[in-house]
Amino acid sequence: MTSLMASRHRWIYLGAIVLLVGMLITGLLTYTQLHQTNEANRKAQQLSSALSAAGYPVPTQNQIVHTLGEDGGAVCEDPANALKQAQWTYGMSNGASGPGQRPVLSDREVVFAESIVLSVYCPDKLAAIKDKIDDLKLHDTVRN
Amino acid sequence: MSSMDIPSSGRGSPGTGAPDGPSSRSARERTGAVATRIANAPRMSWLTLALMTTSSVASLRAAPTMAVYGLACVFLYLLPAVVFLLPTALVSAELASGWEGGVYRWVSEGLSKPLGFLAVWCQFAMTIFYYPSLLAYVASTIAYVVNPALASNGLYTAIVIMVLYWAGVWVSSRGTKAVAGLSSMGLVIGTLIPGTLLVVLGMVFLGQGNQSAAPMNAAHLFPQWTGLASLVLIVNNFLSYSGMEMNAVHVSSLRDPAKEFPRAMFTASGMVLAIFILPALAISWVVPSAELSLTAGVMQAFDSFFQYFHIGWLTPVIAVALVTASLGGMLTWLAGPSKGLLLISRQEGYLPPFLQRLNKEGVQQNLLVTQGVVTTVIALAYALIPNVSSAYWIFSVITTQVYLIVYLLMFAAAIRLRRTQPDHPRGYHAPALVPIAVTGLVASAAAMAIGFVPSSQFGSGSVWSYVLIVGGGLLVLGLLIPYLFLRLRKPEWRSPDAQAELAAQEAAELGGAGADGPRKDGGAA
Repeated sequence: MTSLMASRHRWIYLGAIVLLVGMLITGLLTYTQLHQTNEANRKAQQLSSALSAAGYPVPTQNQIVHTLGEDGGAVCEDPANALKQAQWTYGMSNGASGPGQRPVLSDREVVFAESIVLSVYCPDKLAAIKDKIDDLKLHDTVRN
Repeated sequence: MSSMDIPSSGRGSPGTGAPDGPSSRSARERTGAVATRIANAPRMSWLTLALMTTSSVASLRAAPTMAVYGLACVFLYLLPAVVFLLPTALVSAELASGWEGGVYRWVSEGLSKPLGFLAVWCQFAMTIFYYPSLLAYVASTIAYVVNPALASNGLYTAIVIMVLYWAGVWVSSRGTKAVAGLSSMGLVIGTLIPGTLLVVLGMVFLGQGNQSAAPMNAAHLFPQWTGLASLVLIVNNFLSYSGMEMNAVHVSSLRDPAKEFPRAMFTASGMVLAIFILPALAISWVVPSAELSLTAGVMQAFDSFFQYFHIGWLTPVIAVALVTASLGGMLTWLAGPSKGLLLISRQEGYLPPFLQRLNKEGVQQNLLVTQGVVTTVIALAYALIPNVSSAYWIFSVITTQVYLIVYLLMFAAAIRLRRTQPDHPRGYHAPALVPIAVTGLVASAAAMAIGFVPSSQFGSGSVWSYVLIVGGGLLVLGLLIPYLFLRLRKPEWRSPDAQAELAAQEAAELGGAGADGPRKDGGAA
């Protein structure tokens, strides 16, 4: 780091560090953790039962409550929107994280578990995305 | 940044100089001057190059996706490592220890100069479609912690893409040293530290006596075999390692390329494998696959992971880390392929002089800006036109197909160079190069063939229309456009200094690598 700071590009490095620290502080201040409420607990139990009935492994109550809260959090945030769809379709890909990222014939498990989450937390949003999920060609590539 | 890129005369207008004539400097003087500039150029350590290479290829972004496969993710990364990563690393280590300049030079020497141009064009062109999707991912990651509603806002996404992309172009235009520093920093802060944290927490989880969420027994070593879908999954994972050869274009910045490039390559290979496999495994221990949600993307998986340990406040920290790693990786892609494209175009006049012009840092600024204008148009279409964003995934199929042309050419060139130039000094001789290169060649061809199999996203559409779209994109982007550049080139577009640079490079290769003596690191195939 000393040599970085000594170089003639130090303003670029300092700018990048300031930007990252600023982003970090903003993230820590604005990120709202979902809290444990009666409603969040009730929804989490409902999801646990639904996942279990469908034969999926069930996360802990704490994980579900704090990740999905009362309203599903980011999962229920306009899931059928074109940009959101672009993100999740792009995410149904191989193990690359660089330019080698490419779609695969995805496993049905993640997609159907997703439908269960939506049906519990935001059933009104499920219909909008269901057509898109139904249109996917899915397989069983994950060994259970 | 190596000052060898700056023409000593007519800086900024390489195409305007006349060919050597009686009144010009002699070729020898010119070569000597260029060689001196190369010798005095700023240097880069092999570790920096290893970090840059790792940053180009690996991040934690794919960890939740692969965690779904549980223990089988080890197989899904190891098999491609044997048939694709190993050949790429060994072949590029040998080639870079013998010839400076990267993939364009290897293919030019081994096959032909037009094919050398094709190779670096394909490496360059595919990045144009890569940046919008990468930066849209960055925008959605920031949105996850700031305000999830922003992720579906086109204007927000467009602004984030534009600001970050052009900031990246500006940093790249300040020289390779700035790119090297930032991308190395991005890898350490954005991938190595948080990756280690994930693995340690995963071990703590198991150490507490918890049952792994994904079964970790011999029966789950391999993914479920379902015929074509499993084949597509396995073969497409070869591409996880694409980009390992890209930073070889900076090999002349190393003090002793013949020794240091192979060292950088093998270190990077080890880091890439560790970054891909270990965090994915750790997540699969803690988070059941049903929780690795589809619509909220990778951030929710990290969130769920940290929630188990009651440290949910680390979610925004990991978000910033992922953003840092993505931007660091983007910088290496901005700096690498465009430099290779510039170098061969100056030597052979494949691009108009405007695109060959350099700034005072010796960077191909006009090429970067022109690429930026095209990327801007594509990125705006992605962010603001719903039909484009929904179908954008198909560009990732086309661009990976285009990128595979580079590998086909690189492996073929390596085989041919062993036959046509067996005595050319190489600081490193890859053991059993020909069988290894053939393995890489076959793996690349298989990945290209599998690219024509319609993926899940294509749904129930016609197979032939998919083949037509992917094949058409491959032909236009990977063959037609570079053919037009080759066809329309003019002899006077050659840079007057480029031939001298090439001669100086060759002299350095023959002097430097030759002094180490051939075949000390392994046997010839």
